[in-house]
Amino acid sequence: MLHLQPQNLLIQKTLNEAIEALRKGSPLTMDRIVSDFDYTTYHISNTAEDKSILLLSVKTKAWVSVSECQLDGSLTLLKFLADHYSSLGGVTIPSEVEPGYDYTLQITLAELVQESILQLSVLKTIILSFPFELAISKFIELSQQQPAPVEAEITGGEVAANGDNTLFTIKYRDEENIFIKPSNDRVTIIFETIFQDETDKIFGKVFLQEFVDARKRNRQIQSAPQVLYSHEPPLELKRLYQPPKVAEQSRRFITFVLFPRHFQTKELQFHSICQLTLFRNYFHYHIKCSKAYMHSRMRFRVDSFIKVLNRAKVDEDDENDELSAEGRQQARRTFTGRKIVY
Amino acid sequence: MSYLNNPAVVMDNGTGLTKLGFAGNDSPSWVFPTAIATAAPSNTKKSSGVGAPSAVSNEASYFGNSTSATNFNGATGGLLSNNLSGKRGTEDLDFYIGNEALVASQGPSYSLSYPIRHGQVENWDHMERFWENSIFKYLRTEPEDHFFLLTEPPLNPPENREQVAEIFFESFNCAGLYIAVQAVLALAASWTSSKVTDRSLTGTVIDSGDGVTHVIPVAEGYVIGSAIKNIPIAGRDITLFIQSLLRERGEADTSLRTAEKIKQEYCYVCPDIVKEFNKFDRDPSKFAQFVVENQEKTRRKVVDIGYERFLAPEIFFNPEIASSDFLTPLPTVVDQTIQACPIDVRKGLYNNIVLSGGSTMFKDFGRRLQRDLKSIVNNRIAQSELLSGTKSTGVDVSVISHRKQRNAVWFGGSLLAQTAEFKGYCHTKKDYEEYGPEIVRNFSLFNMV
Repeated sequence: MLHLQPQNLLIQKTLNEAIEALRKGSPLTMDRIVSDFDYTTYHISNTAEDKSILLLSVKTKAWVSVSECQLDGSLTLLKFLADHYSSLGGVTIPSEVEPGYDYTLQITLAELVQESILQLSVLKTIILSFPFELAISKFIELSQQQPAPVEAEITGGEVAANGDNTLFTIKYRDEENIFIKPSNDRVTIIFETIFQDETDKIFGKVFLQEFVDARKRNRQIQSAPQVLYSHEPPLELKRLYQPPKVAEQSRRFITFVLFPRHFQTKELQFHSICQLTLFRNYFHYHIKCSKAYMHSRMRFRVDSFIKVLNRAKVDEDDENDELSAEGRQQARRTFTGRKIVY
Repeated sequence: MSYLNNPAVVMDNGTGLTKLGFAGNDSPSWVFPTAIATAAPSNTKKSSGVGAPSAVSNEASYFGNSTSATNFNGATGGLLSNNLSGKRGTEDLDFYIGNEALVASQGPSYSLSYPIRHGQVENWDHMERFWENSIFKYLRTEPEDHFFLLTEPPLNPPENREQVAEIFFESFNCAGLYIAVQAVLALAASWTSSKVTDRSLTGTVIDSGDGVTHVIPVAEGYVIGSAIKNIPIAGRDITLFIQSLLRERGEADTSLRTAEKIKQEYCYVCPDIVKEFNKFDRDPSKFAQFVVENQEKTRRKVVDIGYERFLAPEIFFNPEIASSDFLTPLPTVVDQTIQACPIDVRKGLYNNIVLSGGSTMFKDFGRRLQRDLKSIVNNRIAQSELLSGTKSTGVDVSVISHRKQRNAVWFGGSLLAQTAEFKGYCHTKKDYEEYGPEIVRNFSLFNMV
């Protein structure tokens, strides 16, 4: 598994189970918690009276900051989600949100189609895609205006006066944020990362450098978005965001620059947004995979050293030999080479 | 810290099946074989799309999964050669777990392996990757944000625990970890039964899965290791017994699948075999029929089901009908196990006999066990009363069966991990960094009052 998938397999499985059970005439009583990355929890439940209607509620840390994003007040997050989901078969939007959760969708199992299940399983991505959508429409608006003088951007100052101050922030973790900045020829996405673990910091640094370098090295991926990486907030953020002082050392900023070719069609746009919203998880997943890989190499190396050591062993007495041969076969070691004692 | 609100992850990795889920749910979210299909080491030339699953192709195009920026020149060289230059791509990510592994292993480029043998992890490389995939793909959790409850078999060497802790804290950076003994969790799961009044962790657990049946005495949360007994009769033997009966009769379909279906749907435990035979002969409606359909539903085969309905589970109580080398009935083994325990806990052990695992799901299994065990105990009491001339206060035997029996271990874990105190019992990442892996040798027990 190289990429993480945007869809939540467990939601898909649960909904399919529920449909199957309903079809057989013995609907399930549902009260299940499903989780997703970055403090996202889903709750799939139904009421005792009507088991053919499910409620899918979601609670996510990013909700507050995402719902604060707006362009000119016309499109809110709730409306955006309603537009997206109300057209799907079997999905309706109830007037009340389940207490303790941020958003609720009501599912009529009998009418649910596979396409709806797929869309429901990417609910978190859809929520997070809202600021991206706004940024892209702002970009279109800006690009149709007179292109802003390039010098102004560099000198700072005046640009703010021009009202080009739009910055969408997604606060999706405790200390990490995503910033989205539309401008007249590009959309810039900036990730703030911070590592809790010392080992991760080192892995992270190598990985981030690799994100920047891979594009230079490999001709096939020239069309991928440009990636930049820095220790201090990039210029786009300088005026708009002051990072908290704590743990300044390990704070890094990763910038993705999206050009119109990355969001030309609807599909392309959704694909780009999926990749971006999963970026942090993807990044951490691969740090973990690398560690696992290194562990397996360490175990392999220890095993090969043990083989060498065993070759150097002096033959033991015949009486003990039988016993020890059996013992040796069963002896297992931790990857630091210590023998496991039973 | 906001991870405190996230549900804990409960993972029960068994020899055959892995149960994954979140604390607070009443059933595991995922149940799949503990199997991993890795790219076979022999194939040196592979197509460039390493991540592209050939077995699973139901993804929409925009979830595209096939191109990789880091996979430059196609992957060559085995995963484990002694020089690093052997690694060029991302071969170590090219694997499947669970049901997808079973599908993938049917192709030529993957080989299947089961990293757990007899309840204990055999291959740590595979296990680490198995966990990696189950956390990120199936549970979709960031391990840094969640506490984990894992299970281990009784008598698991502490070094294995340390290995688990090393993997969970160092590879995955999980927030906190608790490793519980399966038998203790099975006891906790029985608290849902209406028969249980006091929530004690004293009792005898009969854990019967697919491969082997264990009888495990637990006193106040501690497993009495010296008294554990194993019985080499479990689910698979029952299935094979049914299959052999079907073959003897020459039924139309005698596959293992059919035998397993019959076991799950028709078998029950009878109080007395002779009477049951008579009942069947008098009342032919007791004989059932099982219809086998092939996948396209074009051909149907009808399989008659006869005495195996009650004979198959009977091999627990009269093993001589199926096996020639193991002849002790289950109630006797349970009695021997309890007799091998310290005298002051025996009453508690007789009092709370808990069933767990799929092979204890037969109807009336608990009732029969209780009756047989009671007669053994009563005989002994009568004899000792005769010899000593004093009056005994009697021993209460009760076998508890409940609805969560099939995934009892997982359910017990879910029950304990959702309590507010759970996180206090865990070792956190900080503790681990302070003390090192040996910290997981001891876990404080759940003392529920």
